[in-house]
Formats: sequence, structure tokens, C-alpha cells
Amino acid sequence: MEPANSFRLDGESKGGVLAYLERLEAQVKKSEVLRRAQIKESALRTKIRELRHRRDQLRAEVKLRQVRVKTSTNVEPDRTVEVSEQEVLKRQRENVIAILQAYRFTGLSGKLTSRGVCVCISTAFEGTLLDSYFVDLVIQKPLWIHHHSVPAFIPLERIAAQLLQTDIQRFLFTLSEYLNAYSGRKYQADRLQSDFAASLAGPLQRNALCNLLSFTYKEKAGAQSMLFCARLLYKDLTRTLPTDVTVTCQGMGALSTLQAEYRASHETLFYTKPIHQVFASFSQGEKLDSRVWS
Amino acid sequence: MEAGWAEVRALEAEIAELQRTCAKLPAPLENMSRNRKSFHELLQSDSEEQESSKDLKSQLEHLKGELSFLSSLTGFNVGNYSKKTKDLTSAEMIEKGIKKVMQRHRLSGNCCMVTFQLEFQILEIETKENSSSIITDLNIIMEPTDYSELSEFVSRVEERRDLLMFFRSLHFFVEWYEHRKNTFKHFKDKYPSTVHLSEGPSSHCMEIRSASQPGFELMVVWRIQINEEGKVLPKLDLLTKVPHQALQLDKRRVIETAPLNFRTLLGTLGIEAALESLINCFV
Repeated sequence: MEPANSFRLDGESKGGVLAYLERLEAQVKKSEVLRRAQIKESALRTKIRELRHRRDQLRAEVKLRQVRVKTSTNVEPDRTVEVSEQEVLKRQRENVIAILQAYRFTGLSGKLTSRGVCVCISTAFEGTLLDSYFVDLVIQKPLWIHHHSVPAFIPLERIAAQLLQTDIQRFLFTLSEYLNAYSGRKYQADRLQSDFAASLAGPLQRNALCNLLSFTYKEKAGAQSMLFCARLLYKDLTRTLPTDVTVTCQGMGALSTLQAEYRASHETLFYTKPIHQVFASFSQGEKLDSRVWS
Repeated sequence: MEAGWAEVRALEAEIAELQRTCAKLPAPLENMSRNRKSFHELLQSDSEEQESSKDLKSQLEHLKGELSFLSSLTGFNVGNYSKKTKDLTSAEMIEKGIKKVMQRHRLSGNCCMVTFQLEFQILEIETKENSSSIITDLNIIMEPTDYSELSEFVSRVEERRDLLMFFRSLHFFVEWYEHRKNTFKHFKDKYPSTVHLSEGPSSHCMEIRSASQPGFELMVVWRIQINEEGKVLPKLDLLTKVPHQALQLDKRRVIETAPLNFRTLLGTLGIEAALESLINCFV
């Protein structure tokens, strides 16, 4: 297509062409500038739009996060309340279990079973804790003993026949008396054999119930060495001291005054003090004697 | 244009600030998933804790029932107990295979009207062959303190560190105490004008007198003794109060021999019947 403004190639329009070209150039330049300015402006506008969008996004994000933080802190307190209730209950349970176990120090403790109760009888002699025995009771009418660890020579059946149906508490305490006394007598005999074997002049004769003891022992009085024979009978099975004591002095002929003295005092001692304590006092007496006689 | 660039700068600054704030707060995506998990955890542990709470409560009820049963079975009510353990095993002992532990126990409670507080130490020594538990210290505080019979017994028990004997004898003492109280009450109720308990229901003596015969009085003294071996025994004595003239008239020395005869009567008839027969002299 021919340009709208055609130009004549005569001398007249020659200056016009140049001018025209100049005018065109200027126009183009102008539109360039304009164009560039327009591009710049639209870029700016886009940027602003983008930035505004980004800013709005961030504002929303911050708001969202702040809200979440608020709600999450509200959840915590309920959980701590629950936990402390549990802890309190646990502590209470531990406490009750400890008390149940502490009952063994009273001599009688027990555990409930599906059919009744298993009672544990603890024994001791003075400050030394000794064996425990159990009696498994079935709580029915009549009450009966399912099984037990009471030695055969303890009159369990007799005590049960007398007391089990009428008074369980008395049954248990009576049985405890018998068991503690047996435990104590056995302990004394054991101590005599282990601690004072040197003083014994022969084996200690004892029965299972430890209520009949017979032994021979030597005792020094200065230069003199005496041999004594002791027989201890415990008729009362609820006691740890003998009911009948016989001490004889082994020797030929009549006893000397000293021997007679010793014999009598030993007899009294066996009636009033546990066996191992009697022998302990002998060795103390010996030390005293050696100081006196030497 | 200028305004545009200013706005850009302002926006960029605001964005930077928001980004900093955002960084300080927990990431939403993480937070959401964590919350979701912890919420789930909450649900789970809630139900776990609730179950344990229920479980614990029922366990506690069962244990308390066991305790109350044991308390009524033994007659001892143990209210408080605590224990401290101290390991005394030295390096030498470990080599020899010996273990030494000291336990300190505190126990308190009551047996009927008697309350007790105990503190005791137990030394436990374990070797390869055997083990031993020995009470090395025993302290007992008892209320009421006005039972002279009991306080003597308590100091003896403390000396011998015989913890188990303390409880055993305490049981029998309380049993006799209640029996004495019930017996005296029975006679007071049956013969209100003849029988008098000057010290009240827990009196240790019972006075028998008749309004129709003033000046004549019998007093039954009932003591509960605990001997050296911890055995609890009742000891009853009869005291007589008689006007001087009556004594002079007493040719057969009935009054003089009354206390001794009373002992014989006790042996033959037992306590209740013997007391009944005494009271019938005055009714």
C-alpha cells in the first residue's frame, strides 16, 4: 500500500521529505519513550499489585498463626488436672499397700484370697525376727483350714477345735503364742549350739518341739573345772522359759561347797534367763573369777 | 510514578515486617498437623487416663476393703506407716558377698482404746549362707499414759526390742480390759443399788455395799498384770471394810479369811460366778 502521505520527488518536497523523516523519527522516538514509559508503569502497577497481594497473604498468615497459638494454649490446663488426679490416686494406693505390708510387724498379717484369707504369723525372739508361718482359711460355715505351714508338733487341731468357729481373733493370737514360743525355744537351742559349742561337753539333746533339752557343760572356777548336767523341760508350750530345771554336778562323791553353790545358782539362772544369755553370763563370770583367783 | 514507587517501597517494608512476625510464630502447616496429632493423642490418653483413674479407684477400694478386714481380724488398726532404707554395704562387704541394710520404720495406730506410735530400726544382714533381721532400736509412745501396768511393760519391751511381743501382749491386755469393763457393767446393771463403780465404767475396782447394812463394804480389786515374759494375767483381790464391833463379833474370823477364801472361790467358780456370789451376800 502506498503511504498516505506520498512524497513528490521534486525539488520542492525535498526539504519536506527530510523534515518529514525527521518528523517521523521524532514521532517514533516519542512513541518509544511513551511505550517504554507505559511498559514501566504497567510493570510498576503489576509489582504493586503483586506486593499488595503478598502483603495481604502474609497478614492473613500471621493472623492465622496467632489464633492457633491462642487456642493451643487453652488445651493444656485440662490435661494437667487429669494427671494430678491420677497421681493422687497412685500415691494413695501405694500408701495402703505399704500399711498392709507393715502389718507383719504386729505379728499378724494377711492377704484376701478368693475363698477367704491367708494369714501370716510372724515370730521373733526378743529383737531377732525369725520364721513366719501361714494359715490359709476358707471363710464358710463352718470355717476350715485349707492348708498351712504350721509344724506337726504344734497342737493346731486342738486350738482350732477350741477356738476357730467361735473366735477367729483368739484362735490366731493363741496360735501366735504357741508359734512364737516354739520359735524362741528353738532359737535359744540353736544359739547354744552355735555360740557356746566350746562350753558343751557333748551333743545337745533336743526334741522337735524344743521343749525338752538335755546337755552337759563345763564351767571353770579358778583352777577347778566342773562338769554339769542340765535338763530343761518346758511344760507350758506358750512360754520360752522352762517350767522344770534340773542341774546336777558330775563328779565323784559329795559336792564341794563351791560346786553346790554353782549348781544352785545355775538352776536359778536357767529358770529366769534364756539359755544363751545364761552361758554368756558364765563366760563373764569366768573372767571375773580368773581375776579373783589369780 | 513517584507515588507508585513510594508505595512499592512501603509495601516491601511491610512485607519484610510480616515475614519476621510470621517466622516467630509456629508454622501453620506443622502446627495443624501437630495439633491434630496431639488432639488424637489427647483422645487416646484421655481414655487411657480415664481408664487408669477408674482402674485406680477400684483398686484402691479393694485394697481399703482388705485393710479394713485385716484391721477387724487382728484388732489392730494401723493408720500410718512410713519406711526409710539406708544401704550400709561397704565395698569390702560386696566382695565377700555380704549385704547390710538399715531400715527405719514409723508406725502408728490403735487397738481399741489404746493408741500407739512406734519407731524402730531393723538391721538386715544377708550373707551367702543365711540372712538375719534384727531390731536394733525400739521406741514406743502409748496413750493413755495412766495405765501403770502398761507403762512398766512398755519400758521392758523397749529394752528387749521385742516388737512382736508388744503387740501380742497388747492384744491380750486389751481383751482382758474389755472383759473387766463388761463384767463390771453387767453387775452394775443387774444390781444397781448394791454395786458401785467409783472410778466409772473403766474402773479397776468394784464396790459392793448395801443400804440396809451401812458400814459393811466389800471391794473387789481387779488388776491386769503383764509379767516378765509378756503373759497377761488377771489378778483379783478382795478388800473388806467392816465396823469394829462386827469384827469383834466375828468369832470364826470369816472377815479375816475372806480375801484368801475369795481366791479359792475364784479358782473354783471363775470370775463371774465368784463375784455374783459375793454380791448375793449383800442383796
